[in-house]
Amino acid sequence: MIEKMMKTQLFAWVDRRTGAEAIIKSQLTEYPAPKNLNYMWNFGSLALLMLVLQIVTGIFLVMYYKPSAEATFGGFTVAFDSVERIMRDVNFGWLIRYMHAVGASMFFLVVYLHMGRGFYYGSFKEPRELLWIIGVVILLIMQGAAFFGYLLPWGQMSFWGATVITNLFGAIPVLGEYVTQILVGGFAIGDPTLNRFFSLHYLFPLLLVAIVGGHVHALHVVHSNNPEGIDLHKPEQMIPFHPYYTIKDAFGVAFFLTIYAYIVFFNPQFAGYFIEVDNYVPANNLSTPAHIAPVWYLTPWYTILRSFESKLIGVLAMGGSLAILFLLPFLCRSAVRSARYRPVYRIMVIMFFVDVIVLGYCGHSAPTPTLKIVGQLSTAYYFLFFAALPFLPKFEKTKPVPEGI
Amino acid sequence: MKTTNTLMAILAIAVMGFSTSAMASGGGAALKHAEIDVTNQEQLRRGLTVFVDVCMGCHSAKYMTYRGLMAYPELALTREEVDDLRGDKSLMSGMISDMSPEDATESYGKSPPDLSLIVPGRRGGADYIYSLMVGFEHDPDGKIPDGNYNPFYPGGRIAMPDPLSWLDHDAADTAELEQQAHDVSAFLAFIGDPHQNERRAIGCWVVGFLVLLTLVLWRLKVEVWKDVKH
Repeated sequence: MIEKMMKTQLFAWVDRRTGAEAIIKSQLTEYPAPKNLNYMWNFGSLALLMLVLQIVTGIFLVMYYKPSAEATFGGFTVAFDSVERIMRDVNFGWLIRYMHAVGASMFFLVVYLHMGRGFYYGSFKEPRELLWIIGVVILLIMQGAAFFGYLLPWGQMSFWGATVITNLFGAIPVLGEYVTQILVGGFAIGDPTLNRFFSLHYLFPLLLVAIVGGHVHALHVVHSNNPEGIDLHKPEQMIPFHPYYTIKDAFGVAFFLTIYAYIVFFNPQFAGYFIEVDNYVPANNLSTPAHIAPVWYLTPWYTILRSFESKLIGVLAMGGSLAILFLLPFLCRSAVRSARYRPVYRIMVIMFFVDVIVLGYCGHSAPTPTLKIVGQLSTAYYFLFFAALPFLPKFEKTKPVPEGI
Repeated sequence: MKTTNTLMAILAIAVMGFSTSAMASGGGAALKHAEIDVTNQEQLRRGLTVFVDVCMGCHSAKYMTYRGLMAYPELALTREEVDDLRGDKSLMSGMISDMSPEDATESYGKSPPDLSLIVPGRRGGADYIYSLMVGFEHDPDGKIPDGNYNPFYPGGRIAMPDPLSWLDHDAADTAELEQQAHDVSAFLAFIGDPHQNERRAIGCWVVGFLVLLTLVLWRLKVEVWKDVKH
């Protein structure tokens, strides 16, 4: 179909002015991809799909949403009322809003799986260090965007979650109080906070688009890693991206959309994991919910924060747990990429995945003494994993890596 | 491939674990099960009657408009029925109680919560509402006065005084009171998300279509890939 389109006169006219043919060939029909990629390589395209869906649904939501914490009848606010208006009175507003709310969780789910793929198969290693680092920047901006967006409905968990997180900045020595006040726009979460968070919630996805462009560009310079983690040069090891991976990604997209649609239409709250029960209660600065927890995709880092008695150390540890991801390509010194040929790393990385899930569970649950210890041990393993990586090549006996595929 | 499968299995189990771990109700007592059917027009209309006659003495449901009572096919009241209910309130008005929040605070010590989102906004949802309605008891410790003790309410002391007069009711009335509690729970579950039936109906078509699309694309993928040697 593409070949046919590229033979038309119209295409020739466009091509003479843009070089479209060269781009399509180098990036799509003649872009070489390893032929042995497994389904873990589908999550990049799914993440891109979710980014687009979040932006499109978000644009429609903004047409009806009103960022104002002005009180209305019954203890509600203009912002909360406008969300309920979207859910009840706007044609298919419920669909757009559930797609957006569930979409946030699904976006994080596919991005975490995408990152897990990178961890397991060593996709962050030379020459893909910068590709990985751009990816970590994307993760941080996503977390920021999600945090800002969660305030907008102005429910109880919006309000108290934002209160807890913005107070963290108060732990920074000297500048803490000032930074918190700038972020909040006052001395407590209120109307100015809502307005600036709304502004930033619109800004961050635009940043994401630009940086995702950089991520894809960096990928197309160094090309995809593969499950064997070896460099592929021979033409018979490669297949063109189109049609092979376009159809494989299309299949992945349809499969993913089926799950996504099932959740959106049949279980949008997902038992309080995607939309928290407390966020159906309007924000009330006089009544603190019994248990404040962020949405599931931020809970692993919340546990790391809570694992330390000192607030400052907790904040530093939480920041460090994200910052250390930037260093991963330089901490991991083994010449072998894929965990398939690194028996010790393989066990360590699978334990790391379980560890992050345990951290997430601890952060989501109401704190108990047992969970606190579990959380502290998991936090310790989180950092130990990274600390051990530079020393691993000294005693890890890697298996022989295959010559080809 | 094997490692990938193991990985996916671990993650799938983790995700499922997250979704199924039920949250404990606020009050501690195990909730009673509410028999509700949010597609059953008769039950929803009976629930509306309980809501208007009992709940609206103090509570409002500001997001449920009188117009909505006609417009949602699940309720589909006639204009005459709605006019009877709304009195001189506008059709576009929410169902607002005649008791002002200030008067309620003076009488009961706190302002009664709006009930539009009470079912999605409480752990246990409709079961919690039903349990509250038929949960009034004498305080075994004798500290909390009758009508304010409800083991399903967090802390046990509730400001709402036994709306269905469940405490010390005649045994002959049990079935009727339970039915009223079921019905009003169903009504509140409906107005918490009034497009839920439409959503599920459309969802069947959407998911059905996507399953077919997935199958077609899967076969197409296999077809395109058949000349790639592994």
